[in-house]
Amino acid sequence: MNGKSNKRIKIGFLLIIILPVLVSIISLLIGSYPISFKDVLKTFLSIFSSAGLKEIPEVYRDIILKIRLPRIILALTVGASLSVSGASLQALFRNPLVNEYILGISSGAAFGASLSIVFFGKGFPVELASFIFAFIAFYSVLFIAKGTGSDVISLLLTGVIVTAFFTSLLTMVEFLANPYSLQSLFFWLMGSFSLAGWKEVLYSLPFMFIGMTFLFLYRWKMNVLSLGDEEAKALGLNVKLEKLLIMIATTIATSSAISATGIIGWVGLIIPHISRMIFGVDNRKVIPASAFIGATFLLLADDFSRGITSFEIPVGIFTSIIGIPFFIYFLKKSGKLWA
Amino acid sequence: MKVKVRELFFSYPNFTLKVKDLNFESSKITSIVGPNGAGKSTFLKCLCMINTGWKGAVLINGEDLYGMKGSKRAQIIGYVPQEQNLIFNFSIIDFVLMGRTPYLNLLSKPSKKDLEMAEEALKFVGIKDYKGRGILELSSGERRLVLIARTIVQEPEILLMDEPTSFLDPKHEIEIMELIKSLSAKMGKTVILTLHNLDLAIKYSDNLVFMKEGDIVGSGRTQEVLSEEILEKVYDIKMKIVEINGHRVILR
Repeated sequence: MNGKSNKRIKIGFLLIIILPVLVSIISLLIGSYPISFKDVLKTFLSIFSSAGLKEIPEVYRDIILKIRLPRIILALTVGASLSVSGASLQALFRNPLVNEYILGISSGAAFGASLSIVFFGKGFPVELASFIFAFIAFYSVLFIAKGTGSDVISLLLTGVIVTAFFTSLLTMVEFLANPYSLQSLFFWLMGSFSLAGWKEVLYSLPFMFIGMTFLFLYRWKMNVLSLGDEEAKALGLNVKLEKLLIMIATTIATSSAISATGIIGWVGLIIPHISRMIFGVDNRKVIPASAFIGATFLLLADDFSRGITSFEIPVGIFTSIIGIPFFIYFLKKSGKLWA
Repeated sequence: MKVKVRELFFSYPNFTLKVKDLNFESSKITSIVGPNGAGKSTFLKCLCMINTGWKGAVLINGEDLYGMKGSKRAQIIGYVPQEQNLIFNFSIIDFVLMGRTPYLNLLSKPSKKDLEMAEEALKFVGIKDYKGRGILELSSGERRLVLIARTIVQEPEILLMDEPTSFLDPKHEIEIMELIKSLSAKMGKTVILTLHNLDLAIKYSDNLVFMKEGDIVGSGRTQEVLSEEILEKVYDIKMKIVEINGHRVILR
């Protein structure tokens, strides 16, 4: 809480719950084919009643219900998922600078997904391949870092090494891929919602929700774990088991997000910081706040990526351009939130 | 609650802790004293299972500590660490509330009653006005009080405190020791603490345990076990015990 009044926190939560709803409505209107609010409303009403259906051009129904709606849902859940995972990892490793990218999870997931896309086709689910390699990469970072002292610097350096290793493997997959799959793989890797459809929503959303629900339930224990292993043990936690469970949940949430959209950086790092700036360091507030703010942020970034030019810029590029200056600003301003 | 330690062995490279037979009296203050590296903190961490993998038995009112579930153990034994390496600036009230963790399951969160308990504990240690402040903004002494408040909220029968007066000035040393005394006298807690300040140990402890190089050199009621001989044996220097105004004081 850090001295912030309950009233301010309640207003803050109300705002961050309303924001994704508002941005979602705006996102339905914008794009290379602008559609008015009235027509969007009519299109939605046409789902429930055939009256007035003739007034709605078929192309509107296709654009709104088959293209924009799944894309918005995916952007919201991926944004929430990456942010909640980032906040959880920062509490778990007692380090506000770690995120799924630094710990090798993203590169492992990207390698697994690309392997599945290029070589296995439909024979092996992208989500599963993504999860397996994300967990291998994550566990490798922890295993190697443990042997070198297990401090923050070792963890970050090991993360860099493991990320480089899986990025090399990914490059090899790119090298071996045929030109057709290489093009889609390359665009996917930059982080994009351009291929988002109901299939992507159906395959990845349940896993993201499973991971996020688990992390939401663990938000109190994350507070205790963030005090350090000794104090967490003294307060009755089975530290090894609780950490492993949180690691698995973050890997499920992150890898399913990455398998649907590719690597989208910075979200898992900057959103938890923004949440802490507004609501303090208590994970009972940071975890849900990160979910709402992350969802809004990524949807806005996607709106910009498809709205400001006639062609679509991968959203991963956008999150970096928006994220880095934000991060520098919050890093300078939020010195009192961590030691 | 009575604590019995039988044949406890714990080792790591270049150090072995050996406690053959030691009893801690219920509702009394026992100070473990000895030079640096004697194994005092290691022993304390074995008693609250921060250090695991030791051999032997620790019996709490006859029940084996090793067989206890983590949450049950934390409801019986509270631990106040010597040093903290905090990263996140939790508010004092949230920090103290964490003492309720052993009583919460995955789906529950601290209740209004838990919050009242935390406020009461802050009042008991004398810092109730601090509840909205950040833990990283406090001095060492104030942080020690917050840690004690968190342990009170944990409601354990046995309190383990690792060097509760280290880095504190004499005034705060006395304040902390008086607080520990009231935890034992008013709340009936069994307090086991490690101390470097021998004068404080003599003044406030019902019992003393002397440790050196991982071994128990002597133990018993403070008045009976304290002697110039045992001090020399433990610390390898000559010390003199004198009585001033009815209190025994050690001269070095």
